[in-house]
Amino acid sequence: MARRIGFFICECGPNIGENVDIDAVLNAVEDMDDVVLAARFGLMCSGPGKDFLKANIKTEKLTHLVVAACSPKQHELTFMEVCEDSGINPFLFQLTNIREQVAWVTKDKEEATEKTIRLAKAAIRRVRYHDPLSKTALAVNADVLVIGGGVAGMAAALRLASPERRVHLVERSSSLGGRVVAQGPIYPTMASGGEMATAMVDLVEGNDWIVVHRYSEVSVVVGFFGNFEVVVTGELEDGGTLETKVNVGAGVVATGAEVLEGKPLEDLGHGSIDGVVSSAELEAMLADGSIGGKGGKAPKSVAFVQCVGRDEVGYCSEICCMNSAKQARLLLEAAKGAKVHILYRDLCVPGRDQQAFLEGAVKAGANLVRTTSVEVGGSKGGITVSHSLGDGKAEKLMVDMVVLSPAMVPPTGTEGMAEMLNVELDPSGFLLEAHAKLEPMAAGIDGIYLAGSASGPRSVSDSIVQAEACAGRVLSSLIPGRTIEPEIRVSHILETLCTGCQTCLEVCCYGAIVYDPMKNVSHINAAICRGCGNCVAACPSNAISLYHFTYKQLYQEIVEAIR
Amino acid sequence: MDENNGHDDVLVIGAGMAGIEASLRLALAGRHVHLVEESPCFGGSVIRFEDIYPNMDCATCMIAPLQQDLLQNASIDLLTLSRVEKVSGNAGKFKVRVKKKASYVSAETCIGCGMCFEACPVSLDNDFEEGMAQRKAIYVPAAGALPNVPSIDTDNCLRFKGEECNACIEACMFEAIVMDDKDEVLDLDVAAILVATGYGLMDLKPMKRFGYGKVPDVLSSVAFARLYASNGPTEGELKLRSGDAPSSVAVVQCVGREETGYCSAVCCLNSLKFAHYVDHKLPDAAVHVLHTDMCVPGKTHQRFRDKMVEHGADLVFATDVKVGKGSPGVKIAYKDGAGKAAELKVDMVVLAPAFVPSEGSKELADILGVPLDGTGFFAQGGNGGGPVSTAKEGIYVAGCATGPKGISQVVMEADMAVAAILTGTDGGVS
Ligand SMILES: Cc1cc2nc3c(=O)[nH]c(=O)nc-3n(C[C@H](O)[C@H](O)[C@H](O)COP(=O)(O)OP(=O)(O)OC[C@H]3O[C@@H](n4cnc5c(N)ncnc54)[C@H](O)[C@@H]3O)c2cc1C
Ligand SMILES: Cc1cc2nc3c(=O)[nH]c(=O)nc-3n(C[C@H](O)[C@H](O)[C@H](O)COP(=O)(O)OP(=O)(O)OC[C@H]3O[C@@H](n4cnc5c(N)ncnc54)[C@H](O)[C@@H]3O)c2cc1C
Ligand code: SF4
Ligand code: SF4
Ligand code: SF4
Ligand code: SF4
Ligand code: SF4
Repeated sequence: MARRIGFFICECGPNIGENVDIDAVLNAVEDMDDVVLAARFGLMCSGPGKDFLKANIKTEKLTHLVVAACSPKQHELTFMEVCEDSGINPFLFQLTNIREQVAWVTKDKEEATEKTIRLAKAAIRRVRYHDPLSKTALAVNADVLVIGGGVAGMAAALRLASPERRVHLVERSSSLGGRVVAQGPIYPTMASGGEMATAMVDLVEGNDWIVVHRYSEVSVVVGFFGNFEVVVTGELEDGGTLETKVNVGAGVVATGAEVLEGKPLEDLGHGSIDGVVSSAELEAMLADGSIGGKGGKAPKSVAFVQCVGRDEVGYCSEICCMNSAKQARLLLEAAKGAKVHILYRDLCVPGRDQQAFLEGAVKAGANLVRTTSVEVGGSKGGITVSHSLGDGKAEKLMVDMVVLSPAMVPPTGTEGMAEMLNVELDPSGFLLEAHAKLEPMAAGIDGIYLAGSASGPRSVSDSIVQAEACAGRVLSSLIPGRTIEPEIRVSHILETLCTGCQTCLEVCCYGAIVYDPMKNVSHINAAICRGCGNCVAACPSNAISLYHFTYKQLYQEIVEAIR
Repeated sequence: MDENNGHDDVLVIGAGMAGIEASLRLALAGRHVHLVEESPCFGGSVIRFEDIYPNMDCATCMIAPLQQDLLQNASIDLLTLSRVEKVSGNAGKFKVRVKKKASYVSAETCIGCGMCFEACPVSLDNDFEEGMAQRKAIYVPAAGALPNVPSIDTDNCLRFKGEECNACIEACMFEAIVMDDKDEVLDLDVAAILVATGYGLMDLKPMKRFGYGKVPDVLSSVAFARLYASNGPTEGELKLRSGDAPSSVAVVQCVGREETGYCSAVCCLNSLKFAHYVDHKLPDAAVHVLHTDMCVPGKTHQRFRDKMVEHGADLVFATDVKVGKGSPGVKIAYKDGAGKAAELKVDMVVLAPAFVPSEGSKELADILGVPLDGTGFFAQGGNGGGPVSTAKEGIYVAGCATGPKGISQVVMEADMAVAAILTGTDGGVS
């Protein structure tokens, strides 16, 4: 069928009408190949404007449409809808922006007219090479995989599980609950962490829609948002392994964080001086009652050393100032009149309630000391802690116990996890968010979310907020029974041209390309590709082409624009 | 979903980061959202900033696509110039009365060309620019503000003072100005309510020791952010009152922390961002950041601090800060880390005031029947609910309405509220 292109220019009231010689533009384009109509209208986006387009499409039997008007951001969809309503494939349409890019910025009318003519001709040349594209719909699997059974993983699972949505919760250890299940009182509420986590474990275990996989890790994740295939590898009692295949639509990574060990602690006497413990060790002693509480011992003098390993890891772990305030309060409750010093660098108590909590510890008797460097040594009568004050003067404390607040670090296996999921790591070694501000609960891969300490140290309450935010994202976008419409302006590889060099795999930020060693060619998964075009530019064999942005389309457009 | 006649509609109050995120997500899930915003444009505080820490993302590039999505979303009714007046009923079936002030400009016909405000004869200080620029009686707060439709400020328009003026009407080629526009009252049925009314900043004037309002070239953080903004009063030039570029700038942290009793969580980072601003625009100028505790929590923020120090930011431990006139410039007296008196002379001082509850929090809390906490922010987690629940079932709260926090946390709380609304339970575990 012969092409019949209609060209329409919008006056946008005086906006374009007064700054561009519209008749000159119409004159310039009406004789171009395949153009059967060139017309103007006052406000094309208005109801009468759209009716005008529809009427002309019908009477002139147009097959392609070009509109010169405002920014595609504003009205591309408007005119694509007009096409659809009139039976033209919406991709046989091109909008060229002559308001923001011409009328509003090019003050000289002659120049503005010349520029408009070039843009109009370029759009017309381009639309001749457009192909009709059609949307596809894919059924989604609404089930969710949650990796890690700490408070974050459990909170996400509990929020998501329902008769329409099964959750697979994979925990590598023998039991659910993570770090919190073994904790005593937690700041800022001072409610028992152990009791809270145990209550959650009971809810998870009693939930018919949560499948718990203990002693298990996830070994394979392939696919895309709405359709992931997962292999869960469980350890059997006889030492063997069991592989279970599950299909899910999304995944939540909630693998937590670990406490730093090694040199920064050893330098401060951990492991060599009696009475030097880490905050995690003290936490366990406070929880099991061997220190504090009724019947437990209580040291008479304690020095907390903050920011241990902070310089080495390069970040502030966010939870340790508050945690030391908490532990100081618990020690002071157990031994009235004890001397408790908190040697800090910067107090990190951000937010509405945190400072008041810290002040509670001070009221209970904790002594806050700002210091710049700390050394710990053993001696007969106890432990000596020498530290320098802000003014450079040194001070010496004798104490029974030193509590080191080590940095929180990514859990072992994070690198492997990142590789398996195709998620990046940040410079601190934690999993990287899709966007630090707008998508702090999502990984860079669609359908993979991050909850709790897995993407950086967090308090219990912040871990739960993030887990629930993951749930909010899943609940609002992965809805049982719905289909998803993947982007159709995506890339595809021509197998006959592909040499299997795999350059494209390296440049694709979305992990959309896989290499098939059998055929020695690469293949793009259209459901994952976002149409960024990176691979198109990178392919040395010109084997890749992006729908709606083909070489031919771009070439014709540019040639006309610079003629 | 449509079967229950809009009874699973949601009311979101406040269209900042929190309100926008929650509305978009709820709409995606098939809910109809009424988004009530008291100001003429939406986006909240973020639209006043040029860049966002720690990655220095361009704020407009970050939020404008979300705003566009929202404006085009048929499931979201954005009601600007609006306030909630009355709420009754319970979770699942609230009755809400919203008053929408007349804007006197038709959003259907206006194309945002700006001819009307060029013609308007009335000029006054623009609050959006902290009074550093003027606006007209018919106005948009700043270039790029959305929706790009002006409104008439009836307190200042000549016609509303009984005088004769047709300037804007004549200037508008689209007959978009409708002088007989009326305030509207909307009665809505909604299943759930989300409070996302954000924060305010502490009034600097009563804290006389900081010299604000008395000593020239002592600015608030927001004023400095506007100076840096390319759509701001100086189109992005950092300038003193005299018009010269400052050769030294001091940013003072924790202004008002003693009064509020809490750390506002974002000011240290924000001040480091300001150090970056100065470094970027005036590489030869000196920047001092006067802080008590440098609060850079989390896995990324310390790196940001280290980078700013590498770029020459001078971090000074300082307590008992007093700001006064220098001759010339500004003089800062403080106590250093050793408690000794010290002094610093600079051309410009930027004060980082504490976050406080947004104006009208009390009034709104009374209308909703939910409590504020001791600091005046909305109280969280009544009935053992989680951080986005209030004492009343079906009413949720997210973002800085419950206390100071950065954008990431704001967005996460918004999505948590979405999860709670979509599943219909508070689900508080902590
Ligand atoms: C000493 C100390 C005291 C603290 N005190 C407080 C306090 O008082 N208040 C407070 O708010 N916060 C406190 N915290 C912080 C709190 O512990 C964390 O916020 C919380 O543990 C985060 O929960 P999570 O679910 O993200 O991670 P975790 O509790 O670490 O749970 C992660 C889970 O994932 C599992 N896992 C890890 N890798 C894999 C894998 N590859 N496959 C399968 N499963 C995996 C782990 O086995 C674990 O069960 C404290 C932390 C420490 C170290
Ligand atoms: C100078 C400065 C710089 C900052 N820079 C950064 C940064 O770089 N990175 C970062 O992460 N964070 C930054 N922040 C913090 C950031 O501004 C907040 O985290 C975020 O804007 C809060 O979003 P919100 O939606 O909760 O509130 P807001 O942005 O305050 O939005 C609240 C909205 O509700 C409306 N509203 C209020 N009351 C009512 C009512 N009664 N009825 C109807 N509508 C109402 C308001 O008009 C507003 O539109 C900065 C803060 C300041 C002060
Ligand atoms: S939270 Fe406190 S102790 Fe922990 S790294 Fe940050 S400043 Fe240091
Ligand atoms: S870059 Fe081109 S040739 Fe190389 S694998 Fe990819 S498609 Fe094939
Ligand atoms: S177009 Fe972009 S997203 Fe798509 S396969 Fe190529 S590089 Fe990946
Ligand atoms: S009527 Fe006059 S004063 Fe009022 S907004 Fe219009 S131009 Fe300005
Ligand atoms: S009211 Fe009229 S003159 Fe003013 S911006 Fe809108 S269209 Fe332009």
